[in-house]
Amino acid sequence: MIRGNTSMTDVEIAKKNGESYLKMMITAIQHSVSYDETAYHLPISFALTGIAVHNQKAALDVFARTSSNPLVAAECILAEKTAAEGREPSPYTGFIDDTVIRKLGYSLVDGSILGLALVVGTPKSAGSVSAICRELQEKYMLTFLAGDVVTSLSGAGVKLGLEYRLIPLGPAPAYGIHFVDIIARVAMMFGGVTPGDTHRLLTYATERAKAIVIVFSGLTDQEIAIVDGMRVLGFPILSLGDYSGGAWIPSLPEEVVRRGMEQKGIRVNVTAIPIPMGCSPAFEGKSIRKEEMYVEFGGGRSPAFELLHMRPVDEVKDGQVTVIGPEIDAVKEGGAFPLAIIVNVAGKMMKKDYEPVLERRIHNFVNYGEGSWHVAQRDIIWVRISKDVVAKGVKLEHIGKLLASKFRMDFPQLLDAVSVTLITDEAKVRAAKKVAELVYEERDARIKGMRDSDVTTYYSCTLCQTFAPNHVCVITPEHPALCGAISWLDGKIAYEISPSGANQPIEKGVVINTLNGEFEGVNKFVKKASHGEIDRCSLYSVMEYPMTCCGCFECIALILPEVNGIMVVNREFKGITPSGMTFSTLAGTIGGGAQTPGFAGISKNYILSDRFLQSEGGIGRLVWMPSPLKEELKTRLVKILTDQNRADLYEKIADETSATTIEVLISFLDRVKHPALTMKSLV
Amino acid sequence: MALKALDIYKLLPKKNCKECGDPTCLTFAMKLAGGKADVDLCPYLDDQAKSVLGATTRPPIRLIKIGVGERSFAVGEEFVLYRHDKTFNHPPGILFKVSDTQEPEEITAVTIRVRDESFTRVGTDLRFNGIAIENASGSADAFARAVTTVEESADLPLVLISKNTEALNAALVQVGSYQPLIHAATKENFRELCALAKKHSCPLVIKAHDLDDLTGLAKDCVTEGVKKLVMDISPQSPGDFITTSTALRQLAITRQSPDLGYPVFLDATHPHLKDAAIALGIVKYASVIITPPLSPASAKAALTLRQNIYTDPQKPIQMNPGLYRVGTPGKDAPVLLTVNFSLTFFTLEGYLESTRIPCFMLIVDTEGLSVLTAVAAGKLNETLVRDSIRKFDVEHEVSHKTLIIPGYSAPLSGRIEEATGWKVMVGPRDAAEIGEFLHEEWKKHES
Amino acid sequence: MGYDLHFGWTGAIGKVVLGATRADGGTRKISYPIGGETTLPLLFKDPLSPTPLVALEICDNPEYWSPIIRNFCGDLVDTVDEWAKTAETVYGADLVRLYLTSTRQRNFSDIASVGKTLEAVLSATALPLIIEGSNEPGIDSEVFLKCGETAQGEKLLLGTAESGRYRSIAAAALAYNHSLIAQSPIDVNLAKQLNILLREIGVQRDHIMIDPYTGTLGYGFEYSYSAMERIRFSALKGDTDLAMPIICSAIDSLTIKEVREAEPALQDEMAVRWEFYTGIAAAAAGAEIICVRHPKTVGVLKNAFASMKSGAGFSEGK
Repeated sequence: MIRGNTSMTDVEIAKKNGESYLKMMITAIQHSVSYDETAYHLPISFALTGIAVHNQKAALDVFARTSSNPLVAAECILAEKTAAEGREPSPYTGFIDDTVIRKLGYSLVDGSILGLALVVGTPKSAGSVSAICRELQEKYMLTFLAGDVVTSLSGAGVKLGLEYRLIPLGPAPAYGIHFVDIIARVAMMFGGVTPGDTHRLLTYATERAKAIVIVFSGLTDQEIAIVDGMRVLGFPILSLGDYSGGAWIPSLPEEVVRRGMEQKGIRVNVTAIPIPMGCSPAFEGKSIRKEEMYVEFGGGRSPAFELLHMRPVDEVKDGQVTVIGPEIDAVKEGGAFPLAIIVNVAGKMMKKDYEPVLERRIHNFVNYGEGSWHVAQRDIIWVRISKDVVAKGVKLEHIGKLLASKFRMDFPQLLDAVSVTLITDEAKVRAAKKVAELVYEERDARIKGMRDSDVTTYYSCTLCQTFAPNHVCVITPEHPALCGAISWLDGKIAYEISPSGANQPIEKGVVINTLNGEFEGVNKFVKKASHGEIDRCSLYSVMEYPMTCCGCFECIALILPEVNGIMVVNREFKGITPSGMTFSTLAGTIGGGAQTPGFAGISKNYILSDRFLQSEGGIGRLVWMPSPLKEELKTRLVKILTDQNRADLYEKIADETSATTIEVLISFLDRVKHPALTMKSLV
Repeated sequence: MALKALDIYKLLPKKNCKECGDPTCLTFAMKLAGGKADVDLCPYLDDQAKSVLGATTRPPIRLIKIGVGERSFAVGEEFVLYRHDKTFNHPPGILFKVSDTQEPEEITAVTIRVRDESFTRVGTDLRFNGIAIENASGSADAFARAVTTVEESADLPLVLISKNTEALNAALVQVGSYQPLIHAATKENFRELCALAKKHSCPLVIKAHDLDDLTGLAKDCVTEGVKKLVMDISPQSPGDFITTSTALRQLAITRQSPDLGYPVFLDATHPHLKDAAIALGIVKYASVIITPPLSPASAKAALTLRQNIYTDPQKPIQMNPGLYRVGTPGKDAPVLLTVNFSLTFFTLEGYLESTRIPCFMLIVDTEGLSVLTAVAAGKLNETLVRDSIRKFDVEHEVSHKTLIIPGYSAPLSGRIEEATGWKVMVGPRDAAEIGEFLHEEWKKHES
Repeated sequence: MGYDLHFGWTGAIGKVVLGATRADGGTRKISYPIGGETTLPLLFKDPLSPTPLVALEICDNPEYWSPIIRNFCGDLVDTVDEWAKTAETVYGADLVRLYLTSTRQRNFSDIASVGKTLEAVLSATALPLIIEGSNEPGIDSEVFLKCGETAQGEKLLLGTAESGRYRSIAAAALAYNHSLIAQSPIDVNLAKQLNILLREIGVQRDHIMIDPYTGTLGYGFEYSYSAMERIRFSALKGDTDLAMPIICSAIDSLTIKEVREAEPALQDEMAVRWEFYTGIAAAAAGAEIICVRHPKTVGVLKNAFASMKSGAGFSEGK
């Protein structure tokens, strides 16, 4: 009842007044209440209670059932007005019929519209509301207007209508109730919400319908009550007027759209990279020779490093690229420059653990650039930019833009904002490098120290099921996938990025056998993932219920019963082993998803794990492995053995130079007094 | 359930005597576990152990050879219900049927067709496997004459179909030494037929209306001394065939009904359901399929389906590496690199043919891996490309040095350029887009 | 028969309904309930096992179609609604699958024509329809909106959703109550993933058919065959995200070398046999709708399917 008041309005007080007023008005309804061209009666009432309201009695009934909900009241009142007085004149739409709503819902589902906004009230200036509406349009939001905003905009020459995604509902904020009846109908049409299922409706509105409300000054008490009533649907109310209190979010015009969208997790997807250079995976392998390069960084000629790290969301301005120090045009052709590539990321779902995984992508992304080339990682990177693209006007800032865009494009759910800082000032690069090195060390320490007992969740991988339909790898911190490509951390991140992908979480559950590494939860998971074929799986055993094998294992560990030990052979080794079989023969027999006691497919790194051969008594069981593999693992293996006070074991492990048949192996092991000969019998 | 290698090992003498032909008992045990060895090869196993091991390691569907020497084919040795669980091992033999009521010229024509007709797909010769001769006349003389006619034109595996023991006898006098498949023993006549089969060491089809009868009949024949059996499950319709054949396979591989563990016979003769029966026979476990002669179209389709279904899912079919021509490419025709996985080859070839641009396909040996896999595994690398260019003398065929590589091998582009001295153009990831690529990018490059 | 086939299945294939009759608010003459099986395909004794359906594929711009079809059908291919009608009345198809090949032209933008074409086809034939949208992702949004809206109430099957491209087709399915085809590149796990993504966006399981992508005979068929068997197996074992009926369409059948290079007199026969063998084998693996392009294949497949379940077929005493 009070409009255009310039002093601060207390939302709570106004709300209470408004609610009383609405209660009074709904009781005063006399005539029929209805909308044409909808199958949903009065949609809000129908969605909340399942009752089709067409008269005062029903209206009051629903109002009572919903504990005097102001939205119900507002709907009934406006429905009566519409039925009695007819539709509002153009440009106002009033109630929008089902056919149009179906189309709107379609656009919401297919992603051409990212979300919905309601803008109500009396803006102070046409300029600020125009800017807000333009921003909403650019960000693929569908905007509904109610109140003086409409005249304000049309007065400023802004085009309104469905095709402009600026829909004028009515001349007063009370018409904003149509915003709610639209969302209620979308919920019932698309969201599988049954009329009357209040809970489902509220869940849909909160989680699926990405809706925000922007309020200017000039609302009556009852209009305040109506707007506030929308909070229960999970719509953030962003206030640009003089309102205080309540749970309304005071904002400024220049940030209100961003804040609202952030609140609801609405992200605009990046589709184009605005740089004067081609960018595509097709360029990934293209190298830039010395004669072709304009400038290079790192590679031994200058200090260079890259780092991706997570920052709080308010510290990262999406898309921002900062170059500290001279740009490319300050360098002489053929010269070398120091470089720091620092990628700052923020996102609700982002975790510090993911930093190294995302950081690895810097290499790929830079190589996607037609004239940019990148090698290695961390503080040994080597980067080149070609003469061709510099001639086209490419500068370092464009490399930054490439990175910022690609990260947003490839991780749309994970990253809300990405900014890039490139430093070419030598002193600053060196200083920043020291800090980066601490980060690298900390990461290494974290992964190295991770033990299976530190976590309750392992991760599965079913990537190989195309070839081995019943095979599943169980990946733990100390037991990577048998292909050698996926660590526990990789599996975790893959799951969080693609929850319905090939890597799924496995809750360990109760431990059944500590030595063998058999867990109730793992067994249950493996049984399901193998379609019932495998009942039990011991993570640390080769002899009992070993993990199944697909075909892409790096090595095979198998029993040599004659010497009471375990041998290992890797894929690259083509010769015969003391088992009487080659890698290829063995692989053919144990692969395809089979669980073969006495035989296990493993990755090379697993040989260095504490868990390797744990069930069989430890590394003392290892009797034979090909010499190139032994050499490859030498430094790390000797360290492990030394730590266990058995450095002499290294020489006792036979290889193809000391034995290729079981008979010769027996006498070799006898001679060197290999511990396996006197350990507990395996068979 | 099948015994695992280690369990089998525990039952072996563990002497590593090598008399079975394998270097260690463990190796022998692994082969037994996979059904790839005969338990009889071990001279130190007692009968009890042999019987236990044999029953659990022998292929659930026994291996049966039809014919001898060059005129033979083997069927059976099957372990699974679904090819994706491991693989199907022996493709069914498909034989053309002739009848002794046909004119000799007709019989000869069919025989010659089976003898000579073949077509090659992915480096393999596909052909039909033999002749089935039916004693429709009922007369022993006519049957014998029909057999003679067939034998005059070819040395092929044979199936002899007759209800008349005398006729079978007459036929076997001529061809018994070639161990033809005899159709068929029933509850009524099995003793006589078993005697015949035993006399010539022939494999024998046994026929009954349901699996219980078939089980009993199989046991009886084994008692009579005939172990090379093939099952005619007498289907009343193709649908009936699917059901019964599936049941037989399932009962055999679960070892519930070991006596049913023999290859299945199917006569696909039918006025208009021949192709349906053959197709279903191929996918649903028939091992010997006989049919009236097929049209060229049906023949090609049937043989291709057989080849497809009986391909080992874990061993991709490979093309021979080399420089292949599409159309008649000249000195400035484009050269497209790809892997020797047959599917990749055919897919790309098909799209290239429809562009009508003559070109070369440089097929390199990635051991049958697809582009993505070969790149990831390092099998498709610059050394292989360089060596292949040399080996297949590509520089002799074209006057340019530009190589088009598959989109997914983009990461190799620079290294290939360095190793070969050729310029590399990165093509599309999807072979379907090669036409557009050649029309736009290649033409641009040329000008 | 004295045996029982015990597989221990706990799941069943979900049911999808295609086509709405007047009683259901549509104008089709028949409505097909697809799916629902509780065991392996085509087992004669299983009363629930429905007969596979045969769909004839047609298009609205035959420039993009195999010339073999024009040779056989004549100018019929230039009038899409006549072609659709003939598919029903002469060729005997159970469904018509319409490819909007006209959208393949460069810079296609005449969305209204899509609506008109669809309306014409809906009037010309009373069979349930499968509508294959555009080739061009850029116009997906408009094309599927138009298709969905024009055929509202008819319970169409819309094609084809893929992992990177499914939002518009899902939107049309949701908005106008149609079902859709979910296609993956011959990979069971990817098929499952796509179904999960569709579910998350709101598409109900009983509105999805799986297309594992069918390579024609000799060109990858065995991969597709095994993918279908594995999908059926997983579904019967209780995996509800794979428990959808399967559709098979070996679209390359008429463009492969064996058919293209066959002698002109034998070409039709080669095309038919190739499509037939591919189709019937796919049905044995679990496909419930077999799509073909050569009109003659329709009859051959339908006869085969009809005879498979009846007792008739092979004569006694062979």
